[in-house]
Amino acid sequence: MSLREYAEYAVKKCEKLGASEAEAYGQKQRVIEIVLERGEIQSERTKTHLGISIRLIKDKKLGFAYNSTLSKESIEKACEAAFALAKASIPNPDWISLPSMSKPSSSPEGIFDQRIAELKSAEILDFAIQAANAVKEKDKKAFVDDGKFSALINETSIVNSHGISCAEKTTLFSCYLICMAKEMGKASSMVFEYEITRSIEKFSPTKLGEKAAEKAVASINPKSVESFEGQVLLDCDPAAVILAYPIMNSINADNVQRNRSLWAGRIGEEVANPTLSVVDDGLLPRGVYSSAFDDEGVPRQRTEILAKGVLKGYLHNSFTSNKENKASTGNAYRQNYATLPTVMASNMIIQPGNKKLEEIISEIDKGIIIRRFSGNVRPESGEFSGIAKQASLIENGEIKHALKETMIAGNTFEALKNIITIGSEIRATLYRAYVPPILVDKIKIVSK
Amino acid sequence: MALDLLSECLEKRSEGYVEMRHHRRETLTITVKDGKMEAVNHGVIEGACARVLVEGSWGFASTTNLNRNAIMKIMEDAASLGKVSKPMKKRIVKLPPLQVFEDTYETPMRKDPNKADMEELVSLVIDVDKKVRSFSPKIVSDNISLRIIDDKLNFVSSEGSRISQRIVRCYGVVTVVAKEKGSLASAYESIGAQSGLEILEETPLENAGLTAAERADKLASAKAAPGGVFPVIIENRIVGLLAHEAVGHCAEADLVYGGSFLADKIGERVASEKVTLVDDGTFSRGFGTMRYDDEGVPTQKTIIIEKGICKSFLHSRETAKQFNVEPTGNCRAWTFEYDPIIRMRNTYIEPGDHSLEELAETIKDGFFLKGGLSGQADFTGEFMFGTQEAVKIRNGELSESYRGVTISGNAFEVLENVDAVGKDFIMRIGMCGKEQINYVGMGGASLRTKLLLGGM
Repeated sequence: MSLREYAEYAVKKCEKLGASEAEAYGQKQRVIEIVLERGEIQSERTKTHLGISIRLIKDKKLGFAYNSTLSKESIEKACEAAFALAKASIPNPDWISLPSMSKPSSSPEGIFDQRIAELKSAEILDFAIQAANAVKEKDKKAFVDDGKFSALINETSIVNSHGISCAEKTTLFSCYLICMAKEMGKASSMVFEYEITRSIEKFSPTKLGEKAAEKAVASINPKSVESFEGQVLLDCDPAAVILAYPIMNSINADNVQRNRSLWAGRIGEEVANPTLSVVDDGLLPRGVYSSAFDDEGVPRQRTEILAKGVLKGYLHNSFTSNKENKASTGNAYRQNYATLPTVMASNMIIQPGNKKLEEIISEIDKGIIIRRFSGNVRPESGEFSGIAKQASLIENGEIKHALKETMIAGNTFEALKNIITIGSEIRATLYRAYVPPILVDKIKIVSK
Repeated sequence: MALDLLSECLEKRSEGYVEMRHHRRETLTITVKDGKMEAVNHGVIEGACARVLVEGSWGFASTTNLNRNAIMKIMEDAASLGKVSKPMKKRIVKLPPLQVFEDTYETPMRKDPNKADMEELVSLVIDVDKKVRSFSPKIVSDNISLRIIDDKLNFVSSEGSRISQRIVRCYGVVTVVAKEKGSLASAYESIGAQSGLEILEETPLENAGLTAAERADKLASAKAAPGGVFPVIIENRIVGLLAHEAVGHCAEADLVYGGSFLADKIGERVASEKVTLVDDGTFSRGFGTMRYDDEGVPTQKTIIIEKGICKSFLHSRETAKQFNVEPTGNCRAWTFEYDPIIRMRNTYIEPGDHSLEELAETIKDGFFLKGGLSGQADFTGEFMFGTQEAVKIRNGELSESYRGVTISGNAFEVLENVDAVGKDFIMRIGMCGKEQINYVGMGGASLRTKLLLGGM
């Protein structure tokens, strides 16, 4: 039986049991992983992650059950469990309905790469070795501590009792290296360099290794700097964590409705610097988080979030949109089949500017650049504080030296108003956001 | 039954050292958000894996199919993966001899969650939600979640071990958001243990709820703490984060081998003599407690630092052989989909004899740090973790509260600066992510030290 047939079987079974409505989410995932440890291969795994979950509603009472075995028998058990759980629960007055079949959805271009699907573990291993060799060749001081290279094929099928019945296959290649450099017995801070892509056509393990080595070597011999408040150039990753993450939290309709967003009720207001425009595009061609439909089977779409600093819209799944009698924006999200849908950005894109990183650096009189952020961001209030990793001091338009024991602190919502420049070199980050480097002002730089 | 199937297949092995694990995990989650019931959630994952050591090279494979053919196939796949990858490995893995065990273990408990009354658990969560939301008018939102994880683990090895363990974990997590004049503050608390449902009577979820509600309410109008180096008291509830992030990771033998700051430090002084730091796989009710790890090695109490002197690292069988010591039972896997790696179990700093007042006494200008958030560490010893609340200490007296900020430091220096440890020992629950996640215990008593606050 196909995944979709199992899901259809499950929904029928729930209806027979007496469910008001039901939804089945089936998933089959095959991952080949190569794990590096201490610069050499530690293990390789082929994981087949499969399972089905049932969301069942009886008189506004919700039950949810899942099983990692795909068979008629285990599905029947899961349906019965979901029914029993719904009966034991109490009604949720906000519950309206599972989504209905609206318009048909079609897959965005480039989210399935036959080459990734056919990758053998020996080929992935070869990527890993090329990357590790590139680290050493780039600089003798640099070495790989650990890393992981994975090729994933994912198949999803969603069926519900209101006519939704869809299935999709995607591929994803992702890898990371954790790298350090040593000179005269002193180690640099840990560098995390990665790549995440729908297609390996342009993937270069050598480039990945070289970038990691460069960053590691650049953070040797760090010096302290006096504490000051001023300009901080956030490379793509720290910009994603510090700026994109609280934005994502604030435009999540569930948070808006539950008073957990400072942007609740502020559509049409200027909440950020006019240089900042943000969209969520679930149909982005080759987008790392693109798909034809969201995790409830609702077609993906492009949703405007911020236009020149003005708040334009929120992201919805069917539960939050039903509460406001609106259409879902196709942003239902599940981490995997075993979790309930929440609201989440698909590909949240911070629109790039037109300056390259070097050009931005050349315009900074005094500031710091940070390439990794190891800290905490409170998404509701926007407070952030943490260690600036692979950070360097910039003076008179030039990088002076690496920084040690330096922390940064501030508030994201203030920082969004204090954006000076948005860079042009956008990248897909691990945080469901495409983010360029961003220069912000008035950040506290705290040192010993 | 699963154990017999694995044993049968194991007898037909062709080469090398083989270990096979079967894992069935049942998870029940009940969540209430702002008084509204989420779907009551129950699930089962089940599968098996084989790890084979051929000519000094590991291979690993897993499956969710539990029939004889599938099990035989993962054993063969693992062996062939080991062989294929061998030319790429410089390290030849050797295992030290290990006593053969035939044993069973089950989390000691009075109230088995198998016999739980679902409606009773639902109403417990609903009740906590009501109390949290009525704590103050500033509370605008909450999530109350109760989770029971029931793991059945079977282990067989070609050396002859046959081990069955059932580990039950029961915990609750609360987040609360408070609002005042356009400003939001959130707080987080948890309770739980490796235990049956009795833990919900001993440390009620309501307590965690009210602690979080009180904190969110208090911090709604508070400012963030200032930045700089300060003398601080780290609350007993988060001292385990210091033990875990700052020191524990650097004592994991795979990281030691990579050159962590504890490498070559056995027998040397690495902390103040007030500090004894332990990773204990046998700690009663600890979230990371097991009788055997996922290599079939009995767990033990491993003293990493004794009165400031570095004593031992945390080992797998493989690293124990490399370091020429006994394995410590630290090799753990998240599920059957993962091969085991070196993990902490329950990591804590042993208590001293100071009361909280005595700890505060000598601080003229500092902070009492409460409530933990996530943390990270470089193996150079530079660590950070977030705190939720920073209570100002002026001339030995606790004063106004600030919003907590991330703290950082070098583990060496921070532990060297510990000049007093409290007597209020507590063991908490935690999750640790190191390539794969796992449950850990983190514990300790409030202590006094000096570190960098990344504040405003």
